[in-house]
Amino acid sequence: MANITKKVSWSSRTDESGATGEGTPLLNGSEQPQYSRQLPGGGSLFHIGRLSTVDLEEEMTSDEDSLRGRPKEIPHNEKLLSLKYESLDYDNSENQLFLEEERRMSFIGFRCLEISRWVVCGLIGFLTGLIACFIDIAVEELAGVKYQVVKQNIEKFTEVGGLSISLILWAVLNSAFVMVGAILVAFFEPIAAGSGIPQIKCYLNGVKVPRVVRLKTLLVKVFGVICSVAGGLAVGKEGPMIHSGAVVAAGVSQGRSTSLKRDFKIFEYFRRDTEKRDFVSAGAAAGVSAAFGAPVGGVLFSLEEGASFWNQMLTWRIFFASMISTFTLNFFLSIYHEKPGDLSSPGLINFGRFESDSVAYNLYEIPIFIVMGAIGGLLGALFNVLNYWLTIFRIRYVHRPCLQVMEAMLVAAVTATVSFAMIYFSNDCQPLGPDHSEEYPLQLFCADGEYNSMATAFFNTPERSVRSLFHNQPGTYNPLTLGMFTLTYFFLACWTYGLTVSAGVFIPSLLIGAAWGRLFGILLAAISPSDSIWADPGKYALIGAASQLGGIVRMTLSLTVIMVEATGNVTYGLPIMLVLMTAKIVGDYFVEGIYDLHIKLQSVPFLHWEAPATSHWLTAREVMSSPVTCFNRLEKVGTIVDVLSNTSTNHNGFPVVVHMTGSDEPAKLCGLILRSQLIVLLKHKVFVELARSRLTHRKLQLKDFRDAYPRFPPIQSIHVSQDERECMMDLTEFMNPTPYTVPQETSLPRVFKLFRALGLRHLVVVDDENRVVGLVTRKDLARYTLGKHGLEELQLAQT
Amino acid sequence: MAPRNVNLFLVALVVGLLNGWASASSDTANLTAPELVGEMTQIPVSSHAVVAESPVFKPAESFFSLNLLAAFPDDLEISEYCTQLLHLFGQRYVTYVNCMVPSARPVKVCQNCFASYGSLGAIYHNISNEMGPGNVSCKDSLLRKDRLMLVFLLYSNLKEIWEISVCDRCVIKDKTQDYLYKGLTTDTLYFMEALNQSLTCFEKFLGNHSELCKQCKITYRDLNELYGRMDKNGTLCIDIEDAMNVTRGLWSKKFNCSFPREETVPVIAVSCFMLFLPIIFYLSSFLHSEQKKRKLIHPKRAKSKTSLMNIQDKFS
Repeated sequence: MANITKKVSWSSRTDESGATGEGTPLLNGSEQPQYSRQLPGGGSLFHIGRLSTVDLEEEMTSDEDSLRGRPKEIPHNEKLLSLKYESLDYDNSENQLFLEEERRMSFIGFRCLEISRWVVCGLIGFLTGLIACFIDIAVEELAGVKYQVVKQNIEKFTEVGGLSISLILWAVLNSAFVMVGAILVAFFEPIAAGSGIPQIKCYLNGVKVPRVVRLKTLLVKVFGVICSVAGGLAVGKEGPMIHSGAVVAAGVSQGRSTSLKRDFKIFEYFRRDTEKRDFVSAGAAAGVSAAFGAPVGGVLFSLEEGASFWNQMLTWRIFFASMISTFTLNFFLSIYHEKPGDLSSPGLINFGRFESDSVAYNLYEIPIFIVMGAIGGLLGALFNVLNYWLTIFRIRYVHRPCLQVMEAMLVAAVTATVSFAMIYFSNDCQPLGPDHSEEYPLQLFCADGEYNSMATAFFNTPERSVRSLFHNQPGTYNPLTLGMFTLTYFFLACWTYGLTVSAGVFIPSLLIGAAWGRLFGILLAAISPSDSIWADPGKYALIGAASQLGGIVRMTLSLTVIMVEATGNVTYGLPIMLVLMTAKIVGDYFVEGIYDLHIKLQSVPFLHWEAPATSHWLTAREVMSSPVTCFNRLEKVGTIVDVLSNTSTNHNGFPVVVHMTGSDEPAKLCGLILRSQLIVLLKHKVFVELARSRLTHRKLQLKDFRDAYPRFPPIQSIHVSQDERECMMDLTEFMNPTPYTVPQETSLPRVFKLFRALGLRHLVVVDDENRVVGLVTRKDLARYTLGKHGLEELQLAQT
Repeated sequence: MAPRNVNLFLVALVVGLLNGWASASSDTANLTAPELVGEMTQIPVSSHAVVAESPVFKPAESFFSLNLLAAFPDDLEISEYCTQLLHLFGQRYVTYVNCMVPSARPVKVCQNCFASYGSLGAIYHNISNEMGPGNVSCKDSLLRKDRLMLVFLLYSNLKEIWEISVCDRCVIKDKTQDYLYKGLTTDTLYFMEALNQSLTCFEKFLGNHSELCKQCKITYRDLNELYGRMDKNGTLCIDIEDAMNVTRGLWSKKFNCSFPREETVPVIAVSCFMLFLPIIFYLSSFLHSEQKKRKLIHPKRAKSKTSLMNIQDKFS
């Protein structure tokens, strides 16, 4: 029974290790009983002998095992922790190789490293900007073609009859685009679904989400988002930009692509989790900055999401990457719009300029804004609750890729249908503007020279609709149109988020908010006695958009700055901040933000800022996993191979212990070694006997570890002969000689703080004689949450 | 909005002062380009024009006379040549404004008043650029001697009106003379002809609207298409836009010839069908798809006094 010590899985290799590796599930229903039956007697097979604490409560094992023998299956819910997520190795392993390398490195070498960090950040910004530019142009062109075709068709059939054919044409076109996007995501890279912000949040939190920063993910993401926006879904392209930026950062900083099998032999020093994660935060910032034209907002976004590992120089570099990214996007868009050198279109979404005199606000409007914030919080909570139930249903029942593609297509078709019906039955006609601010005006049954006002909201890409809600003249929309639009778009957007397409929730939220905000403004102007200028609908549209977005995503500082930067108007800082605060307070009363909900639903071991309140009575003894699989400093190769290839325990870190010679007492802790390091050692056959026989044998360097990063080969691909199994391995040089340890009595919040602040992956629990008692990992901490009935414990599950 | 109002008020004020309200109609006939040029050259020239020395205001003198101008001795303030230019400017200004006001509704400011605008522009050009006899320029004395800069202000207001109405697109510039216009463009004339056709057709069937919709459809559609083409070319001025707006209003609102909403049933049917699909989809996936189950895994824990049971006890 001594083998299940902790539940850190080794599963990042699921995709290519294929049938041999993890084709057999770790613990499925058929294997589990067999395994548990082996436990009492079959210990010999796995018995390693160096288990530090073997005999805690031996009596309990029999009935525990029988309980474990029946693998409990439950429907997916949010109270689970998945085994497929691991921690990043943020903490540096200060072994002898590392010290040697540092000694060898000259002063110039360190300066070069610093400079190359800047170069990498510049590249990240540049490439992210280029990708944003590509997405923008592609969406604009594709959507343009689609709307032109549908518009011509509608015009033709308005005259001769047969508008239902136009409706079908529109629905089919939408579905076709979305089908391509959904197939890309569902069949090639499911992790690219959604906005990607939850995944990046997890990554910055220190969770290694499998395949989230791959080149393939980037490609699927980019093309998927183009398809879904061009397909007319109620989605935006801003969230995916953040994910794209993060992938670019992870790729560029490594100086090679494992997928393309190209190694440019540059930036080799950055090939470890610590550096990569710093660059990923820069990439996410660059993505935000390209999406909203908000460089400062981007920096603050990274700060808000990954703030526990931060320093001033990194912040400065991230800001650099953000600026470069906005600038690049700007520059290339100006060329596309045939105004080269005009740098005035900073982001993908451009809220346009709010002229300061017509939309000034007054002190007495502040309470009104706060009320709007509360409405936004309520609506946001409703949105999140609905989406939460929908997502649970999707996880449970709509999990086959073909079903997911079908669902996405259906949503696209229904979106088109609903939009068409709204436009068809709308009686709101407005005269055409002088400068053709309406991109695709639809006349339908309006008088000549007028257009259907509902069509500007529905028959358009969402970005344009937002802009027209912000800036069109008062009187462009009548209240009924806005009300109907808000209602339908709310449900459409709620239904759309969580589909297997890559798409973000920012723009739909803004659009819903802008619509009801504008409605609010119009009604306010109607009830106010004099037609004063203060009830400008555009201003209220902005405030409504901010509050709705705040109510859904619940971001605080960064969202305020993003909104302020996107509007280009600092005077709105105070109202936007107040509105976001109110929305968050009101919304948090009911339910969490949508990103947190989705993180929970994906069973990610996410560590929040602090340990749950009322958890001080829990000590490390209750939290830790125990007993622990340990290795001797001088370990037999066969043992290591056996432990590593035991599929039922996928341990990642192993305390290294020394035995007092001659004494019988348990061994004392002297270091910590990671699975990845052991695999590299096995691959290079660093055995004591071989080293003796081959004197010229090259000494293993840190470079060998970096070359294998980040996809270390699975243990199954390493062949160890029978003779070699008898050899010994000396781990002294490679282990981290100073792992962090805590005594057994440490309270959970203390452990948590240590973990969160240092970005740890393993924390060894020792007794007063420095003997290993247990091991705390991320999943041991993340399982405690504060639920409605006090402290709750999440269960580990195979997903 | 506020500055525009003030400007219009100024215009009206000056018109009133200079000439009184004269009934003026189209002035294209009585002011043609060559005539204007002749008029210009005939301006009497005072060779001994003296440039004003200093713009010092002398308040003492104003007490003696109500006429401020006369109070300055020796025509120090402004030369005779400039006075004449100013006078001429005033006349033409009045002519232009008199032409514009009656053309305000329906808008015909471009076709009716381009000639008077051209002559006004010419005289302003004279004031601002041309050197008079004896190398005297009236630019300084007329245009920017004082804070008000009335002449400049008046002209720039009218110029703004002209620019807003984009009349330049409908009239042809006279190549030989700057600031003067020859006449309407062929596009404009062609449009007017098409418009007239439609209007005659409307008149013919005025009694029977349904018949009108049928009979005039082709001419009206041609007119609409022509308008669309001109819109793309950028050859629309306010006159054409307004004429088209009025015609469209007649067609759609007065005669009710817009397309009726008569396919409600098929549209509703197709919509309902589409809305029905997701319901079927979700129902069938709920009934037929096997629910995804998660296998729970029991982690190894050190047993101690405060186990999970205790947590539940404590908080239940």
